[in-house]
Amino acid sequence: MSDAAIERGPAGSGGGPGGRSGPRRTLQQVVWRLLPLTPFALVLLAWVAYWVIARPSAATLPAVQDVAAALWELAVKGELAIHVLASLWRLFLGVALGVATGVIGGFIVGLNKPIAQFLSPLIVFFNAISGIVWLPLVIGWLGIGTALAVFLIWNTVFFIVFQNTVLGVQLVPQVYEQGVQALGGGRWQTLSSVILPGALPYILTGLRSGLGFGWRALIAAELVGATTGLGQMIFGATEYHRSDIIIGGCLLIGLIAIAMDRWLLLPIEQRTIERWGLVFDARKAE
Amino acid sequence: MTTTAAAPPPAGVVPSSPLRKGGVLRPLRSFRILLPFAALIAVWWAIWASSEFSPQVLVSPVAVWHAFLHLVSYGVLAEYASTSLTMIGFAALLSLVVGVPIGFAVGVNRYAAHALEGFLRFLQGISGIAWLPLAIIWFGFTHTTTLVIVVYTLIVPIVFNTMIGVRAIPEPYMLALRSLGASRLRMVKDVYLPGALPSIVVGLRLGMGYGWRALIAAEMLVRKGGLGDLIFGARTFGQIDRIITGMIVIGCLYVVVDRLIVQPIENLTVARWGVLRQ
Repeated sequence: MSDAAIERGPAGSGGGPGGRSGPRRTLQQVVWRLLPLTPFALVLLAWVAYWVIARPSAATLPAVQDVAAALWELAVKGELAIHVLASLWRLFLGVALGVATGVIGGFIVGLNKPIAQFLSPLIVFFNAISGIVWLPLVIGWLGIGTALAVFLIWNTVFFIVFQNTVLGVQLVPQVYEQGVQALGGGRWQTLSSVILPGALPYILTGLRSGLGFGWRALIAAELVGATTGLGQMIFGATEYHRSDIIIGGCLLIGLIAIAMDRWLLLPIEQRTIERWGLVFDARKAE
Repeated sequence: MTTTAAAPPPAGVVPSSPLRKGGVLRPLRSFRILLPFAALIAVWWAIWASSEFSPQVLVSPVAVWHAFLHLVSYGVLAEYASTSLTMIGFAALLSLVVGVPIGFAVGVNRYAAHALEGFLRFLQGISGIAWLPLAIIWFGFTHTTTLVIVVYTLIVPIVFNTMIGVRAIPEPYMLALRSLGASRLRMVKDVYLPGALPSIVVGLRLGMGYGWRALIAAEMLVRKGGLGDLIFGARTFGQIDRIITGMIVIGCLYVVVDRLIVQPIENLTVARWGVLRQ
């Protein structure tokens, strides 16, 4: 049920279906590699076709080259870099804060049953309103800008990382803990050599999904609560009906999200999981 | 049974809190639930009383209670809340009806699944709310805009998880049924649906988490009713009491929807088909 179920490809070989060798296999491998591009190509084709046939106004649906041109223009003017960097900086601050507080809080709560039980209703409630719901209230406290966006991201990421950490900490089998203790390990050693590694896969799962929620919260926050950033860039473009900037911005938002997931989080997660080997489900099942 | 999985849950899933273990019929349960909130309100009150806050910054719990009564007695709150609930309910239904068949169709074919996976990930990266500016240009400040945003937000995780669920069904099950001459419909009914159901529910739950927030955010900007409109509209007049009332209602509604509708479905599927073990 994990992502790797599909990524491994047919027969788990990483290549084309079947185990045949020779040129046919390499061809199939190439096809398999290129396959993920087809939906993008189809959408692009449909877009161009619709644009050529229906000739919608530029405000409704701009031509593909207009979108590219708009992005290029913004990039040359340096505006694009400002927006992207502002967004990424806020995301980094919010996620860093959220992970730090979430992990520390998760350890404290996960290791203390009474506290966990006392806090659990509050956690459920505040998790339900985490993120964008705070915007109207906090905008009055922090004003428009980076602090507001960071608060909203922190608020979103914290609860996800926190809940996952608590889960991870609580699920570490007691036997391991007792094993270290029986060998004379103190509280600190139990924490660092049993509970932390045991909970790490959960923490990382939390981080990964927290980043997904955080990125959404950021874009939503920037729509109204910022003067720079990608969200503001596309929302500001609405006033002038600049669909080219909006679509370009949306594509960029998707690309950044996918790049972060693929090159930042997936490798970290896989390395931890491989190292501590706590996952054994679908990754080997197919 | 608890819903905690033995292994880390699939990516992107917030596991249901292990904190809510314990019998349903414990006599102390309601007290246990209310006590932390009482403590929170006491702290809030103490902060409020400790210094002179302008009513534009922080109000007392009493003021929020009065705002709540005021909104309820005029029927405004019910109207805003029902707008939001209708929207999320309709969007969830629509996404399931459209998304699950798509997920099946794509999931049964490994080439289609492989082809679409990256695309769906990309779409998931563009949050629904990012499309709001474009949707506003296309559909104006209407309910249609909100609906489009929420359905988009919900449908992507549903399609994605349905597809993953179908792909994860062990091949022998399909081969067994097929060799016994099962029709396509039969395959869907007896293999794909039960096999993928836990994963579909996971997708629905994740989608509801994203979708509810997207709904609130969209309502804030579209300003055509709904709880997001309520709290964002109150911002313009600096009515903190109304904002906090709205936040509490949003939180309670989400907990109710999640706990009373989505989670029982999840428990039911998990208990019935037992994919997640304790």
